Amino acid sequence: MSSAQVQGCPVRHGRDDRKSARLADANLQPAKNARVVGSFAAAREILRSPKVRQAGASADQIDLSRPEEISFFFLDGDKHRKRRAAVAGLFAPKTIVTRHRAVMDRTMDAIVADLQGRGSAPLDELSWQMAVDVAAEIVGLTESDSNVNLANRVKAVLDSSVSRKPGFLNTLLFNAKMIPRVGKFWKHDLAPAIEARKRQPKDDVISYMVKENYSKKGMIMECLSYGGAGMMTTREFIVMAAWHLFEKPELRERFLTGGEDDQFAILEEILRLEPVASLLHRKAAEPVEGTQGASVQEGETVCVSIREANTDEAITGPCPYELDPDRAKRMKVVGPYLSFGDGPHRCPGAQVALHETRVFLDRLFRLPGIRLVSEPEIQWNPQIQGYELRGAVVACDPA
Amino acid sequence: MVAIRFIAVDGSAQTIDATVGISLMENAVANGVEAIEAICGGNAYCGTCRVHVEPEWRKITGPITEIEEPMIEASGDTDPGVRLSCQIEVTEALEGLVVHTPESQS
Ligand code: HEM
Ligand code: FES
Repeated sequence: MSSAQVQGCPVRHGRDDRKSARLADANLQPAKNARVVGSFAAAREILRSPKVRQAGASADQIDLSRPEEISFFFLDGDKHRKRRAAVAGLFAPKTIVTRHRAVMDRTMDAIVADLQGRGSAPLDELSWQMAVDVAAEIVGLTESDSNVNLANRVKAVLDSSVSRKPGFLNTLLFNAKMIPRVGKFWKHDLAPAIEARKRQPKDDVISYMVKENYSKKGMIMECLSYGGAGMMTTREFIVMAAWHLFEKPELRERFLTGGEDDQFAILEEILRLEPVASLLHRKAAEPVEGTQGASVQEGETVCVSIREANTDEAITGPCPYELDPDRAKRMKVVGPYLSFGDGPHRCPGAQVALHETRVFLDRLFRLPGIRLVSEPEIQWNPQIQGYELRGAVVACDPA
Repeated sequence: MVAIRFIAVDGSAQTIDATVGISLMENAVANGVEAIEAICGGNAYCGTCRVHVEPEWRKITGPITEIEEPMIEASGDTDPGVRLSCQIEVTEALEGLVVHTPESQS
């Protein structure tokens, strides 16, 4: 980085392309007593360390003696590795291309037909359908009466988690067992899928859970964590990326004329600036002393601030708040920076999410007459401790 | 610094000066070896940093570790020298290492 560049574009005076930063600043709540870490290098070192454990409101209260009853989100060490390894193939780049891509295309056909038929539609409704269909295929929720009904039932369950606890997904998992709407989801979606997999196992999460004799509660918890981690996050990200592209004609042009790699670079850079999950909590089981600045005492809880780490000039270069799709390549960093976490818990669905977002937006922006007739309102979702975009309406010409 | 040679499917070769103590993948990315995509950033979760280690080097680089297995299996890459380069730490012992990069990382 040259000093001239820095002088020409000091952080505080440079362009700030972020839409969610102000709301996040006002709402983000690190767990009590947690020290916030905002340096990218130190944060990554902590997240990668085998000496730290998941922490945060519900992780501390979970009964780890019954691993088959809890989502792997809250496990650590060998048990966690085993579970991740068992489903890793479902998220591999090859599986995305050979299997999930077909689901993405099929869902997009239905979304386009629906939008062209209605003339206009709420964007988050369309992105939700995409996120649900793709995650449902991975989980194995494929025996529901219709995928629109499945999406509505999943939404009803996830929406009914109301209390507020710090950290990504903590409320969701803690409250899920208390929610009566779970009953409907169990009856219409999960139970039929389990029965089908018992007769004929497939390559999906439910088949794995059946094979490993998960309890009913364990299966519900796992499905809901995929629901929260995979569906709610992707719904918001698709709308956020669309909003940026609607607003910036040059970026949209580049997105539509560039190759897939360039499209991913644009999406990843948007995600760097607008991370859906903002805070990750870890507690040190042993002292962590890294070479990149990580230093955590035994028993101490730290809160990794994804937003701060993603805009740490040491790793972004100058003007960290500017949307610059060439940044990651120039800085030789993975495009989403820490938006999918890092280390053993790094989001397994990262590539799936980026692919479905790419497929969705590529089709959407090629529709004749596509336009944003009303901008989204940006709200705060306490479950994922992240932004939520509601009220965006898109319209296009009839088919 | 140790010299490591990457050979692409079309036969073109690139020799890099690798830094000891960090992974082969990080060295490749830092030196612009395009065939190493490494989209998960070194977490053994994407399988897009695969290399095929030349037979005479396999004893030194070692066999596939447990953490690498799921992604290598999912990639369908059956080359006997396949490894995830993010899980190979560069040491002085790798001076002169030769690896091949696969035709496609996905
Ligand atoms: C833009 C979309 C997404 C974002 C921003 C996102 C973000 C994240 C983050 C930050 C974590 C790490 C949590 C931690 O370290 O404590 C995570 C974990 C996870 N994500 Fe995602 N995610 C997305 C999409 C998906 C999708 C599509 C799926 C599956 C279909 C998924 C499944 C999971 C699961 C199962 C975990 C837990 C992994 C573990 O604890 O080992 N995510 N996600
Ligand atoms: S960088 Fe992803 S598996 Fe090595």
